[in-house]
Amino acid sequence: MTNRRLNYWARFWALAGLLYFFVPMYGTLDFSLRMKKGVLSLFAYQVVLSNPQFLASFRYSAIMGVITVVVSTLIFLPTIYWIYLRLPRIRPVVEIITILPFIIPVIVYVFGLIRTFGRPPLQLTLTPFKTDILITAGYVVLSMPYMYRSIDVGMRAIDVRTLTEAAQSLGAGWRQILLKVIVPNLRIAILSGALITFALVMGELILGDFLVRPALGPYMVQVGRDRAYEPAALAMLSYGLTWLCLGLIQLVTRGGTSQQQLTGR
Amino acid sequence: MAFLELTHVSKSFPGSVAVDDFNLSAEQGEFVSFLGPSGCGKTTTLRMIAGFEIPTSGTITLDGQDLTFVTPNKRNVGMVFQSYALFPNMTVKDNIGFGLDIAGRKKNEIAARVEEMLGLIHLDEFGARYPAQLSGGQQQRVALARALAIRPQVLLLDEPLSALDAKIRLELRQEIRRIQQQLGITTIYVTHDQEEALSLSDRVVVMSEGRIEQVGTPSTIYNYPRSEFVAKFVGQINLLTVEMVNLEKGLVKVGQQLVHAGQTLEHMNGHKIRLAVRPEELNPGFRENANNLSGKVEAVTYLGSIVRVRLDIEGNAVSLDMFNERKLQIPNVGSPLTITFPVDACWLL
Repeated sequence: MTNRRLNYWARFWALAGLLYFFVPMYGTLDFSLRMKKGVLSLFAYQVVLSNPQFLASFRYSAIMGVITVVVSTLIFLPTIYWIYLRLPRIRPVVEIITILPFIIPVIVYVFGLIRTFGRPPLQLTLTPFKTDILITAGYVVLSMPYMYRSIDVGMRAIDVRTLTEAAQSLGAGWRQILLKVIVPNLRIAILSGALITFALVMGELILGDFLVRPALGPYMVQVGRDRAYEPAALAMLSYGLTWLCLGLIQLVTRGGTSQQQLTGR
Repeated sequence: MAFLELTHVSKSFPGSVAVDDFNLSAEQGEFVSFLGPSGCGKTTTLRMIAGFEIPTSGTITLDGQDLTFVTPNKRNVGMVFQSYALFPNMTVKDNIGFGLDIAGRKKNEIAARVEEMLGLIHLDEFGARYPAQLSGGQQQRVALARALAIRPQVLLLDEPLSALDAKIRLELRQEIRRIQQQLGITTIYVTHDQEEALSLSDRVVVMSEGRIEQVGTPSTIYNYPRSEFVAKFVGQINLLTVEMVNLEKGLVKVGQQLVHAGQTLEHMNGHKIRLAVRPEELNPGFRENANNLSGKVEAVTYLGSIVRVRLDIEGNAVSLDMFNERKLQIPNVGSPLTITFPVDACWLL
C-alpha cells in the first residue's frame, strides 16, 4: 500500500516536472511556427538561417567554442594529470578554485577583465584579434568547472599513477605517456567536457556583449529586442544545439559505466 | 662487482626513514625476494631500483652502470605491479608490444616478440582481447609478458600475486619461477608472504623498519634466523623464557626443567635470553639423550595436514605441530603432555 502510494507520488512529480519543462518549450515552438498568418510554417527559421548576421555570429561562436575547447583541454588535462601524479594533496584547493566561476557573477568577472586588460601594460581590447584572445581566456575560465570535473571523473576511474609508472618502466617519456596511455583512457571524459564547454560558449551572452564581439548570445538578445517570431525560432535552434551536444555525450559514453569497459572495446 | 648492487642506500620522507643503509649484491640470473611486514621499506627499495624514487643517499649500479639518478624510462628494468597496471585501451598484444613500439622497433619484429611472449605465458589465443576481458591471473601473466618483452636487465615484481585468490596464486608462483629460470633473468620480488619468498627465491632479504634483518638462502633464513624478528616473521616459533644454569655446558632452565641449549653460553652471560624451537621439531613423548619438557595441553587446532597443539610449559605458551594421519591420537585439552626435541633443534636468542 505504502509502496503504491509512493509510486503514485513519484509519477505525479515526474509528470509535473515534465510539464513544467515541456509546456513552455511547446509554447515557444508553436509560436515560432506561426510567423505566417493562419498556417504553421518554418518561415521564422528560414528568416533566421538566411540572415547573414546570424550565420556570422554562429560561425564566430562556433570557432571560439572550438578554440576554447582546445585551449582548456591543453591547460586542464596536463594540470590535473600532474596534480594526480605529484600533488594529490592540493586537490581540494584546486576543486575550490574551479568552482569560482559559479560563485563570482560573470558581470563582475567581465568588468574585472576590462579593467585589467583594457589599459596598459597588457591592453587586449584595442584590436578584434586581441579581444578574441581575451574573450577566449574568459571562456576558458567559465568552462573550468565543467572541464575540470569531467577530466577529474575520468582520472578517478583509472589508476593514473600506476599506469604512468608502468609506461615509464617500458621506456615511455612524458609525451608518449600522455598521448598513448592517459589521453586514450580519458577520451570520453575529455569529450564530455569538450561538448559541455562548446555548448556553454555557443550560448554565452555577457562576455560577448561587454567585449563587443559578434557572438551568438548577444545576437540572440538583439533579435529578441527587435523581432517577434525569430527569437522563438532562435531559442529552439539553441535548444537543439545544446541537446545535440548532450546527445553526443550520451552517444560517446554509451556501453558501460567503467572507464575500462568504455575505452577497452 | 655484482650484477645489481645497492650500496648504503637510504630513503627518507618528511618525518620518517623508509629505508636505512640498505646493502645488497645480486648476481645475474639470481632470484632475490624482499620479505617483510607492511611499511618495512621493501617496496620503497624496489621503487628506487625502478627509478620511481630517488635515494636520499647511496648508489644503485646495474651491470657496472650507476643508475642512481637515471630516469625510470632509461633503466631497462621491467616492472610488474600488484594491480597489473595493464593499459585498458589496448589489447593484450598492444600491451605486450608497447615497450617495443616505444623503442621504435619494426612492426614485424614487435609481432614476433609478442607471439613469443604469448607462448611463454600460455595465452596464445588471448592476443586480441582487452584487459577487462581477462581474469586477474591472466592479466598478471600479460603484465609479466609485457615487462619481459623489452628484454630488461632486471625484472622487478611488486607483490604481483597479492590480488589473486589462493589457487591462482600458487599456479602463477610456479609459472613466475619457471619463466625466470627459463630466461635466466635477475629478479627482485617483493612480498610479505613468507611461503612465496621461501619457495621462489635463491636468496631472501628479510626487512624490518627500513633495515635489513638478514640475507640468506631460504633454508638459512628459516633454520638459522639471526634475530627474534626473523625467527618470528618467517614461520612459527616457540620462544621460551630461560634461566642460565651452566654457561660452559650450555644448560638452561625452563621453570624447573633443564634443557641443553646445544651451545656454550659464555658469550651470552648477562644477556636476557630465550630458547627458540620450531613447532615441527617438537614431538610428543619422552626420549633419552634429548631435551624433554612437560606441560599441560591448552588447545588443539585442526589445520588439515597438521594438528597444532598448544601447551603451557612453566608459564610459556608452546606450540607443537603433529602431522595428521588417520590414526593420530590427538591429546585432550587439559591433559598433561611431555614433549621431546633434539638438542640441535633449539637455539638461543
